[in-house]
Amino acid sequence: MTENSTPALELTGIEMHYGFVRALDDIDIHVMPGEVVALLGDNGAGKSTLLKVMSGAHKPSHGSIRVHGQEQSFHAPSDAAEAGIQMVYQDLALVEPQDISTNLNMGQETLRKGPLGLLGFVDRKAMRRSSEAELDRLGVRTAPMTRPVEMLSGGQRQVVALARSAIRVNGESRGILLLDEPTAALGYEQTKNVEGLIERMAAQGIAIVIVTHDLPLCYEVADRMVILNRGKKCADVPVEGTDRDHVVGWITGSRASMFAA
Amino acid sequence: MTMTTPHVSTEVPDVAGAGADSPGPAPVPTGSDVPRAVSVLVFLRDRGIFMLWGLLILVFAFWCSPYFFTVDNAILVANAGALTALFAAGVGIGIMTGVLDLSLPGTAALASCVTGWMLTHDYNTALSLLAGLAIGVAVGLVNGAISLRGFNPIIVTIGTLSVLTGLASVVAGGYTFPGLTQLEFMGTHRYLRIGEGGSTFTGIPAPVFIVAVVFFVGTVFLTRTRDGLRLMAVGANAEAVRRAGIHSDRYKVLGFVISGVLAAVGGLVNTANVTEASPVASPGILFTALTAVALAGVALTGGRGSLPRVLVGALILATIANGLIIRGIQPYWATVATGALLLGSLMFERVLQTAVSERLMTANLSVHARN
Repeated sequence: MTENSTPALELTGIEMHYGFVRALDDIDIHVMPGEVVALLGDNGAGKSTLLKVMSGAHKPSHGSIRVHGQEQSFHAPSDAAEAGIQMVYQDLALVEPQDISTNLNMGQETLRKGPLGLLGFVDRKAMRRSSEAELDRLGVRTAPMTRPVEMLSGGQRQVVALARSAIRVNGESRGILLLDEPTAALGYEQTKNVEGLIERMAAQGIAIVIVTHDLPLCYEVADRMVILNRGKKCADVPVEGTDRDHVVGWITGSRASMFAA
Repeated sequence: MTMTTPHVSTEVPDVAGAGADSPGPAPVPTGSDVPRAVSVLVFLRDRGIFMLWGLLILVFAFWCSPYFFTVDNAILVANAGALTALFAAGVGIGIMTGVLDLSLPGTAALASCVTGWMLTHDYNTALSLLAGLAIGVAVGLVNGAISLRGFNPIIVTIGTLSVLTGLASVVAGGYTFPGLTQLEFMGTHRYLRIGEGGSTFTGIPAPVFIVAVVFFVGTVFLTRTRDGLRLMAVGANAEAVRRAGIHSDRYKVLGFVISGVLAAVGGLVNTANVTEASPVASPGILFTALTAVALAGVALTGGRGSLPRVLVGALILATIANGLIIRGIQPYWATVATGALLLGSLMFERVLQTAVSERLMTANLSVHARN
C-alpha cells in the first residue's frame, strides 16, 4: 500500500438498470494503488455487471467513475484501456498458435528501425528481449519466448495473460487490473503461483480488483473484500480479522448488510 | 498426479533448483523443457510435407529415369504447378485468416474478362492489368463487408461466385476475348535463356517468376510484418485481437482482399498462357488449390499454416501428375493418387497430433489440439 490518498479507481453511486431489474443499486467501491480488492458475491449478485462497468463494457445508468481522481466516462472498453484499466477475462484471450512474445506484444509491436520499419516489419528480437525483461521484472519464469501458447499448461497461459495486462498498465505506471476468476481453471500449485504473481503486481503499485468465488484465494492475496448481494453492497471489510463465516453469511444473504439502515 | 487433472504440476527437478535461489513468492514453474521426442514430432508435423516431396522426387527419379530428374522437367513441373500455386496461395491465406473464400474462380474470370475487354479496346496493357487487379481488391472488399455483418463467409462467397461469373459473361457478351498476345510476357514467355535461341538453357517461364514473387512477398508479409502477424492472429482468435485494442474487422477484410487479388493474378496468368480471356469460371481450380492447401496441413480452423508449405503442396500435385505422365499412366490415376495422399496425410497428422499431446501430457504440459 502506498501513502497516496487518491484511489486509483473510485466508483460512486453506481446504478445499473435492465428494464425494471436493478442489477446494481447505489454501489460505492474504490481501490487504492497497490491494493488488492476482492469482489465477492453469489451468482447474480452483480459482480460481473460491476466488473463490466469498470472495464467500460457497460455504461452505468447512474453514478460516476473516477480514475486517479479524474472523472471518466467510458463508452467502450478502449476508453477504459486508455485510462489505464486492463481486464483479464476468464477465457484469457490468447492467440494459441502464436508464441509468447507475439502474444505479449499484440497491439504494441516493436517495429524495426529504418526503412523496414516504415514498411511495417517487426523487430522480433527486440520484442523477445523486452518480453523476457518484463516477465523477469514480474518474477515470472515461463517457457521460452518462442514457445507457442498452445504448448503451454493452463497455469502458464494464465500467467501469460496476467503478465500481458500487467505490462500494458505499467506503461501508464499507475495501472488498474481487473481479474475475472483468475484461478478458476487451475490446480493447487498453479493457483499458488498465480497468487504470487498477483501479490508482486500489487507490490509494484498496480491496483487490482479480483472477481472470484474462491474464498481461499481471497484470503491469500486480497487486502479488502467487497461483498455484493442482489445488486447491493452489503460489506466492505479488510480481509485481516474478518471471520470466514461472516463472509459466507454476507454472500448468501443470511447475515445482515453492514450498510442496512 | 492423475490423468484427470493434467494441469497439476509436479516437482520438476531442474526447475526447482533455479527457483530456490529467488526470494519472495515461489516462481511460476517453467515446466520441464519440451522433450526431444516432442520436438521431433512437431518438426515432422511442420516440415513433413517437404520430406514427402523429397521422397516423391526420389521415387520418380528412379522410376521415371532418365526423363524425370532433369532441369527441363523441373521447369515443366514448376510451370504446371504455377496456376494451382497462385490459387492455393489465395485459398491458403484466406483460410489462415479464418475465411474460406469460394468466389475465387469468379474473381479470376471477371478480372480476366475486364482486362481482356480493355486490351481488345486498345487500352494500355499496364492499365488493363491494373484494372484486373482492382477487380480482385473490389471483390475482396465486398466479400469482407458482407461477411462482417455476421453472415457465413462460405455462403456469402458462393453468392458472389455466382454474381461474378454472371458479370464476367456480361462483360464478354457471351463470347471470349481471343488473341491477347500483349500478355505473352507474363504467359508463355521464357526468361533467362542462354545460348542461341535457348539452345543451352531454354529459360524459365514467366508464371514461375510470378509464383516465386507472390510466395516470397506473402511469406515475408505473414511472418515478419505487424499486419501479417495480426492477420494470422485474427484467423486464430479474432476476439483476442479485438480485446488487444486492434480493429480486427479491418484484418478480416484484408484477408478477403488478399485472396481476391491473388485470384485475379491467377486469372490473368491463365489468360496470358492461353492468350484468351474466358468468362467461364472453373471451380475445378478451386478444389485443386484446396487439395494443395490441405496437403500443406493448413488447419481449416485458421491461424495456422505457412505459405512455403502451400507452395510445396501445389508442387506435389504437379510432381505426381508429371511423373505418372512420363510413365505413360492414364492421368486419372494422378487424381486418385492425389486424393489418397491427402487422406493419408490427414491420418498421419492425426497420429502425430495425438502422440504430441500424450507426450506433452506426461511432461506436464498440455496441448489443446484442434484438428
